[in-house]
Amino acid sequence: MIEELLSPFERPEPPAQHAAMGFFTDTTVCIGCKACEVACKQWNQLPADGFHWTGNSYDNTIALSDTTWRHVAFVEQFDGGADQPGRWLMMSDVCKHCAAAPCQEACPTGSLIYNEFGDVYIQQDICNGCGYCIAACPFGVIARSAVDGHAHKCTLCYDRQKDGLEPACAKACPTDSIQFGPLEELREKARQRVARLHESGRTDAYLYGAEPAGEYSALNAFFLLTDHPSVYNLPEAPRRPKAHLRTNLLLSIGAALGLAAGSALLFARGD
Amino acid sequence: MKPIPALLPEAVELEPRDTNEWLPEFTPSADILELAVPQHVTGPGYYGLPMLKRPTWGWQIALYFFFEGISSASYLIASLATLFGEGRFREVSRAGHYVSFGALVPCAPLLIADLGAPKRFHHMLRVFKPSSPMNLGAWSLLGFSLPVTLQAAEMLTEEIEPPRWLARIAARLPDRLAAVFGIPFAIIMAGYPGVLLSMTSTPIWTRSRFLGALLACESIKNGAAATDMAIALTRENRAAVYEHDKLDSIRTLAAAGEAALLGAYVITTGQAARPLTKGSQAWTFWLGAIGAGIVAPAIIGMSGIGERKRKRGLRDLFTKHSRRMNLAAKLASSALSLAGGLALKWAITHGGQESALDDDATRIASRATESNPGWNPA
Repeated sequence: MIEELLSPFERPEPPAQHAAMGFFTDTTVCIGCKACEVACKQWNQLPADGFHWTGNSYDNTIALSDTTWRHVAFVEQFDGGADQPGRWLMMSDVCKHCAAAPCQEACPTGSLIYNEFGDVYIQQDICNGCGYCIAACPFGVIARSAVDGHAHKCTLCYDRQKDGLEPACAKACPTDSIQFGPLEELREKARQRVARLHESGRTDAYLYGAEPAGEYSALNAFFLLTDHPSVYNLPEAPRRPKAHLRTNLLLSIGAALGLAAGSALLFARGD
Repeated sequence: MKPIPALLPEAVELEPRDTNEWLPEFTPSADILELAVPQHVTGPGYYGLPMLKRPTWGWQIALYFFFEGISSASYLIASLATLFGEGRFREVSRAGHYVSFGALVPCAPLLIADLGAPKRFHHMLRVFKPSSPMNLGAWSLLGFSLPVTLQAAEMLTEEIEPPRWLARIAARLPDRLAAVFGIPFAIIMAGYPGVLLSMTSTPIWTRSRFLGALLACESIKNGAAATDMAIALTRENRAAVYEHDKLDSIRTLAAAGEAALLGAYVITTGQAARPLTKGSQAWTFWLGAIGAGIVAPAIIGMSGIGERKRKRGLRDLFTKHSRRMNLAAKLASSALSLAGGLALKWAITHGGQESALDDDATRIASRATESNPGWNPA
């Protein structure tokens, strides 16, 4: 009992820092097979979400959640008219493992950390289910489990990485739409891929999250997209909540201090 | 469903399972499942599905914000009365410290009840991370509860005959020191709930920078109203209500600040404020927060009922109300202010639920700006 109370306060020596690892998801080669979803569920022993036909193309997974850490989005674009060839957009969505993650900045227990691979990781023995990370995430990745009450999301297969294996989804992906590796290498590869696509006439290809943009950091799991982010249910320009913390805090403390000063004056004036 | 042949004596007939019924046990994304219907296909987004997850905060957090606001503000007012009142406002200090303690009692249980893993509440104190407003709040609540308890205990020792050893300890405690020690905590406690909400991605909370200041003013209004009510309800102190109108003035000052900041908040939040102005919280917001919390007490205040007699003025001609009427007016405007305060915190906390699931609001809130260009096709 006492051990249980005190163990979260222990600070074991952190493991040696490793080169930052991440995902590059190239949506132009995704075939929507959902092998990544299955491999993720299987490796991480995540329960099924039930059979639910949404009628939204082939997407019956709907969204990332506490029990779904890879989600393949299906976009059908066939309404351009008779002379326009239609197209399919498929994208395997995942936790973005932001380089400055709002969930990690919000977490009040220190459960959310950067592990030695530079990835955002929820320590399940620490998380107390306060729900701050859920509201903080601008991508709607994290959810709280109704079974154990903790927040869950993609771990970027921390356990597999520790053993020198690539994450289950990347391993299972038959077209290498999901690539895993050291971030610097991945970014270089992604830039070359975009250049090659542009050369071949697909000028709509661009990278989502390979570089920091405005107040938001780069994403350690970034994407190659060919349409506007909102088509894939991604925010066009996510805001970093902490970027506005200082202003908000100063204004609120200022308001409280101002009223306190007013009250002090009223009391001092007597009557 | 066909009955299962009774091969074994304990074989039972299986009821067909309704997936919609048992799914929520497995996943909190049940509300997202509900929204995933083909009617939404033609929207600008992804099948009209929400981009964000619903916040997990409900009535526990709304009530917590209400009580911790009262607790911190009445402590602040009571301590300032002690420090600057030169002994003239004893009953304000006394009632304020009692109210502060009483409102603090439900705070920790409410916070614990809200957690997914309530046994792990103490994990909040595992790290000191003031950049997370929730961590800052947990530490402040801990630090604040000490002076609040001490002050309330000291007030109590003045009233009842305490055991001699206790009286000796109480006599040694300098009350000015306790007041000064608690004030910084009270200021943080009054101000942080709005800051906590604004450090999220939920559009209704993040679009404006005034949410923290708004809830701070509202807390101080509630604290003054609760203290005033406590004084008016104590028989032996009732006379004191008419000796001065300090608490009325503080409440009016805070309500004026609240009204201004509420306007600023709604305007700067823009379209994302829809849950408050038109959506699920509209009644609570318009009738409760604005009607009961701001307009009604202002009308009572302007009518002159319940006001202490000023030096002679024209208004005296119209305000020859009975003492009982004055007391009723005072209690009514305090109670309405409190109800409005609760309504505002309730509406803003619960408005986050609707806001997060509103994919239009989320898309507009995360639109590219010059300073935050995001990632877009060239």
